Amino acid sequence: MAYADLLPGEMRRKLAQKIAESETAREQAIDVMTILQGHFGYMSDEAMLAASELLAMTPLELEELATFYNFIYRQPVGEHVIHVCDSAICWMHGHESLLDHLLSRLEIRLGETTEDGLFTVLPVCCLGYCDHAPAMLVDRRIHGELTREKIDRILTKLIEESHSLPGRK
Amino acid sequence: MCPQVLFSNRKPGRIATMEEYRQSGGYKALSLVVGKWTGKDVCAEVQKANLRGRGGAGFPTGLKWLGVPQEGAYPRYIAANCDEMEPGTFKDRILVHADPHMILEGMVLSAYATGAEKGFIFVRPSYESGARILEREIQRARDAGYLGRNILGTDFSFHIVVHRSGGRYICGEATALLNALQGNRPNPIRPPPYPTVKGLWGRPTVVNNIETMANVPHILRNGAEWYQGLSRSSGSPGTKLFCVSGRVNRPGCFELPMGTTLREIIEEHAGGLPPGCQFKACLPGGASTRFLTSEHLDVAMDFESLAAIGHRMGTAAIIVFDHKTCLVEVTLNLTRFFARESCGWCTPCREGLPYLGDLLRRIEAGEGEEEFIPMIRTMCGHLWNAYCALAPGAASPVESLLTNFEDEVREHIRQRKCPCKA
Amino acid sequence: MPRIIIDGLEIEVPQGTKVIDAAERLGIMIPRFCYLKSLGAVGACRMCAVTFLQGPFKGVQMSCMIDVQDGMSVSTTHEEAVAFRKQVIEWLMLNHPHDCPVCDEGGQCLLQDETVSGGHGIRRYRGKKRTYRNQYLGVFIAHEMNRCIHCYRCSRFYQEYCGYRDLGVLQMADRVYFGRFEDGQLESPFSGNLVDLCPTGVYTDIPARHKVRSWDLNRSPSLCIHCSLGCNTVANARHRTVWRVEGRFNEALGSEFICDRGRFGFGHTNHPIRPRRAKEGSSFVSLKDAMKSAAEKLRHIHATFGAQAIACLGSARNSLETQTTLRSFCEGLRLPEPHFFVNPHVKKKVCGAVARLDERVAVSLNQVAHADFVLAVGTDPLNEAPMLALAMRQAQRQGASLVVLDPRPSFLPAPHVHMGVAPEALNGVLGGLVRKAMEPGERENTALRSRGFLQSLPGEPFFRAFSDEQEKVDAVLSGLKKSRNPVLVCGTEVVRESTPSLCADLALLLKEVKGRCGLFYVLPGANAFGSALLSGSGESTFLDVIQSMERGFTKALVLVESDPFVHFPHQERLREAMKKLELLVVLDHLPSLPVQTSQVFLPTSTLFEVDSTFISQEGRVQWSRAVHEGGIPMEQWTGGTHPPRVHSTVIPGRDFRACGEILKEMARIVGGKGKVFLPDPWSFLERGPSAPEAPSRGNRPADGKRLIPRESSPELFPLQEGHFTLREETEHAFELLVVEAVFGTEELSAHSPAMEKWEWEPHMWMHEQDAFELGFSQDEVIGMDLDGGTLEVKLKVCPAMARGVLVLPRHHRLQWQKFSDFSMRVPHDCMRKS
Ligand SMILES: Cc1cc2nc3c(=O)[nH]c(=O)nc-3n(C[C@H](O)[C@H](O)[C@H](O)COP(=O)(O)O)c2cc1C
Ligand code: SF4
Ligand code: FES
Repeated sequence: MAYADLLPGEMRRKLAQKIAESETAREQAIDVMTILQGHFGYMSDEAMLAASELLAMTPLELEELATFYNFIYRQPVGEHVIHVCDSAICWMHGHESLLDHLLSRLEIRLGETTEDGLFTVLPVCCLGYCDHAPAMLVDRRIHGELTREKIDRILTKLIEESHSLPGRK
Repeated sequence: MCPQVLFSNRKPGRIATMEEYRQSGGYKALSLVVGKWTGKDVCAEVQKANLRGRGGAGFPTGLKWLGVPQEGAYPRYIAANCDEMEPGTFKDRILVHADPHMILEGMVLSAYATGAEKGFIFVRPSYESGARILEREIQRARDAGYLGRNILGTDFSFHIVVHRSGGRYICGEATALLNALQGNRPNPIRPPPYPTVKGLWGRPTVVNNIETMANVPHILRNGAEWYQGLSRSSGSPGTKLFCVSGRVNRPGCFELPMGTTLREIIEEHAGGLPPGCQFKACLPGGASTRFLTSEHLDVAMDFESLAAIGHRMGTAAIIVFDHKTCLVEVTLNLTRFFARESCGWCTPCREGLPYLGDLLRRIEAGEGEEEFIPMIRTMCGHLWNAYCALAPGAASPVESLLTNFEDEVREHIRQRKCPCKA
Repeated sequence: MPRIIIDGLEIEVPQGTKVIDAAERLGIMIPRFCYLKSLGAVGACRMCAVTFLQGPFKGVQMSCMIDVQDGMSVSTTHEEAVAFRKQVIEWLMLNHPHDCPVCDEGGQCLLQDETVSGGHGIRRYRGKKRTYRNQYLGVFIAHEMNRCIHCYRCSRFYQEYCGYRDLGVLQMADRVYFGRFEDGQLESPFSGNLVDLCPTGVYTDIPARHKVRSWDLNRSPSLCIHCSLGCNTVANARHRTVWRVEGRFNEALGSEFICDRGRFGFGHTNHPIRPRRAKEGSSFVSLKDAMKSAAEKLRHIHATFGAQAIACLGSARNSLETQTTLRSFCEGLRLPEPHFFVNPHVKKKVCGAVARLDERVAVSLNQVAHADFVLAVGTDPLNEAPMLALAMRQAQRQGASLVVLDPRPSFLPAPHVHMGVAPEALNGVLGGLVRKAMEPGERENTALRSRGFLQSLPGEPFFRAFSDEQEKVDAVLSGLKKSRNPVLVCGTEVVRESTPSLCADLALLLKEVKGRCGLFYVLPGANAFGSALLSGSGESTFLDVIQSMERGFTKALVLVESDPFVHFPHQERLREAMKKLELLVVLDHLPSLPVQTSQVFLPTSTLFEVDSTFISQEGRVQWSRAVHEGGIPMEQWTGGTHPPRVHSTVIPGRDFRACGEILKEMARIVGGKGKVFLPDPWSFLERGPSAPEAPSRGNRPADGKRLIPRESSPELFPLQEGHFTLREETEHAFELLVVEAVFGTEELSAHSPAMEKWEWEPHMWMHEQDAFELGFSQDEVIGMDLDGGTLEVKLKVCPAMARGVLVLPRHHRLQWQKFSDFSMRVPHDCMRKS
């Protein structure tokens, strides 16, 4: 268990228990990866190897799942991941110009991470918030009825929060 | 106001507590049934009520449950489908946030009907708040004896686990969902054998949409006849959660009798189109249904009436488009969505959808050719021979674009640009 | 049996036959990509669409997904189906790079065939093609993902069929990718089948890559001679080089797959250091002169010291032609019977096994794959006979339980029960298991004849070692009890001499009780069966020959495609003994040690250069056809340039002949014209009634015929004293087991450049507890002071193997031959960390 040893003891215990309670270990693969990517920032190779040890799956078997899903990140992502809905209803409600605004505010292209490592913007299909279109998900929290101003407010708040964290300028 | 059944406890900004649910008659069906009826009785009642699945396919629920073998093959499982990733659809989210215990009671009853001992609620990542609510309420229901070991003091036990998805549209397809739940790649598996015979870990498994589940307590408590009476149509009983989105004044989710006309839903409940916007078309049942034009606005929204005019109820998610919206572009957006969410198992979907997308993109960008139109038509026809229902669903809006708006498409090709753009 | 009409032709097929297969029986090849009979149907590619006209299905449906039912009528040419298939092939070609000119699959590419047959010729799609990055998959196969059409055959074969977990499906939608977690050697020793399976050129064979176009290749039906199973192959050659070996379907073996040892082990035939020129002393001569000189020298010894001074040693890698001719050679010249085994114990075991295999119990590999219980005794299927491991896996996938009783660590790629039993306890544990599994009820039913035998089987003491593994024992017992179609697999390498025969007895007993039981031996070498048949009845062994050499009685030794240094445990002793010879004649195509010291060396052809016959371990005769004439590969001859710039009227390096022909020629010379009469070689093979007579060539037994009697021995259950004994536990010594490994130990493939690249370090296995008690640990180098010097080897420890044994794969780079004799014991006190 060389890689799983990288995890804090408490987390390891909890994951092991979760796995033990399920019908089969692999059933927990997504949850384990979600938790590990919370810890490592993304599913780095080390994180994959740690998860594969915990789940008694080979790294390949885990990769078969990790690369299928939208919400498992095998590439480094920023502290805050913004998934912007680009499906039909949000698109009708001005998704494109809002996305342009968001990206130019952050000075990145779609799929990229800001230089300060704070934000990554990714496209996503319908979030199920069509009644509040246009919508986006920030760290799995939904924001609907987006406008440029609302996006600015959300960003400003997150930036301020991160600056007030110890260890950050 | 129409009678509210699933939304009887829906209040703006808050979730019905277990107590509120109980006061409205919640968990009565459970005490009525558990330990008193046989599982078969429950199935029969649900079948008598003619409850049809709310997840998209509209399969009769009672019949599905009866597909679980009478003998042997334990343990058995229930999988409640709260994946809901079809564009325009958000009823499951609202239901979870309105009255989670209704879903739980429905699951317990379906487990009782089919002899299952464990259930999973499969929740998509963007519904994380829903997943938390469900987990919290599961604990409460367990504490109250409605869930877990020896439910209501009987020897019937049933456990529910919330399973979080990694997020992909195909995971909503019943057999792909089962693969996803087991930690396999979420490719669909074409029946037979049906999940009710061979599902999770090779055991009988019932997959239902959570809205379907939520109907069950009401049917058992009030009887099949009462349930039929809720509807305005003869063939499709009960009420239905309709999601309306797109170009309307009040997008939202409304519980209305089956058979309510499309016009009434759009104009009255969703507040009609904004000023200056005229109705051009809508998708009546989510992204994988056909464009419906104003000529059919008076159709009664139920399974039979829609089928009669060549449409599908789908997820009953009505997406409204106004006269300024370019339907080629809408279709392109939808096609890209399906292409991106294809599981990649079969050729038509994996290769055909990006191809379709490329043709539509060219038309929209003014690079279209006349010959694209017959190409798209035949290709859509071939998508129906895909492995699962995703690709046929993806073909539906495209096919109907050509049926109903061929002129608009031709205009793109003739003008070598999108005529809707200034 | 249901009947179906396909394109107007009616056919009756067994229940459960897919429409696509029914059509194939009528000679109608419905296009397909994902479907492969051995892998089953999954309906992914949608290429096999046909139109169902009548019956329970209607319209366009996938013919691979639907079982034939009465009343069905199907059209493969109906316009809807044809149009759909045309569309599918267009879809598949959207992203395919049109790199056929540089693709090794070109010319034998299913995608090319189906594109043409589907009628897709004109490109309409104008979008960008998707591209992928390739991975390094190791030394055997190259990866070219851009060519992929996503049929999923590779991942399904790799994971489901073979049970390995390092290659699979990544990504989704139109980005689906088949590969590994990271670059690296594929772990499965069956990976080469991906080359055959892949309908296009994603996986190609590295040794043949960019060397030759498939349509230029000579192809011939050939055999794999790298273990005793005799998998069928297709050999491919051009420019005097064998480039590639592919799998070939054979009903009895049940699949078209082969292992990587079989696929990539052919390199010895092209090897630059293959000895191709006849030699007398240290000078090159023509084969003709060398034969003459060898014959004259033999005649001289014959005349001076008598026939008894000449010994001949063949081997299990000889073709049957070589073996029979050698026997005839010895008979005709009145020489002592030839030997085919270096190790006398192995000889006894193989002869014992061959003597006991008969039609009542013998089963084919395919039957193993359909058993409901497989009990493997004293064999390590993956390493000794790799395709057996896959057959066992297929049985397991259909619900069979697998049990392996073997001292070695077990690497079977399927869930199984492994009991690490030391060789001396194998008989006891096996006998005990069978005895216990026969419930009183079943025991009562047992016919009188075998009841005594059953009761004479040992009981409890042999289970003592498994007292804390009761669950395992119970699982085995209940599996054996429930089984209705069991198969006993028995090895012949690490077991005691009595084990093969005990297994035959037990198979008969189980058959008596259950109505059905198979027996499947694993033998050491492609033609070990033939070796046993031709060993004659004499008691003498090769050890006697060595002693006789040492005493100076044996003056001449003829090595017929045989290298005693590989198997004789004391190299120094053998070397000394050989020094005393007056004459060493070597016939071979491998650059073996004796080739260098021989007085006369006679180069022989390899499997690929002469029609040959081999007998597999189930007694099945199989023919192989030569694929080319041979000679120094063009690439070596011309220094790699093409076309060749050097011309000659004779084929360079072609002065060799089939071993048998050389022997015949020498006999003619030794005997003098007309004076020697050689018996018909094939006459040595006459054995009881067997499979229905098929046409044979001359007297050569027919291809596919099984050379086993209907009933082997009239005497049932010859249980003997001493079959069930346990070693004293106080003995402070290990029993050394020198064993086979998939790669690196087998003689022929060890000379294959492709295989040599599959580097692994020589090592030896020891039980974790044994190592702990001696203070050794994983990866330490252990030195052993033996009679023949010091042996140093890296240690691997394993918790799941027998105690008291050392397992040493006979890696060709490890000089392990430092022991005093064949029953090798290593006292604890001669071992130390170095
Ligand atoms: C591509 C695809 C996606 C689907 N997504 C969902 C979904 O998100 N939620 C759902 O309830 N059903 C979905 N379905 C329908 C399910 O396959 C299945 O019919 C349904 O969950 C059964 O429940 P019901 O009988 O209660 O409707 C989907 C079907 C397809 C083909
Ligand atoms: S149609 Fe085929 S590729 Fe598409 S989602 Fe279904 S199985 Fe997967
Ligand atoms: S061969 Fe039938 S779908 Fe692929």
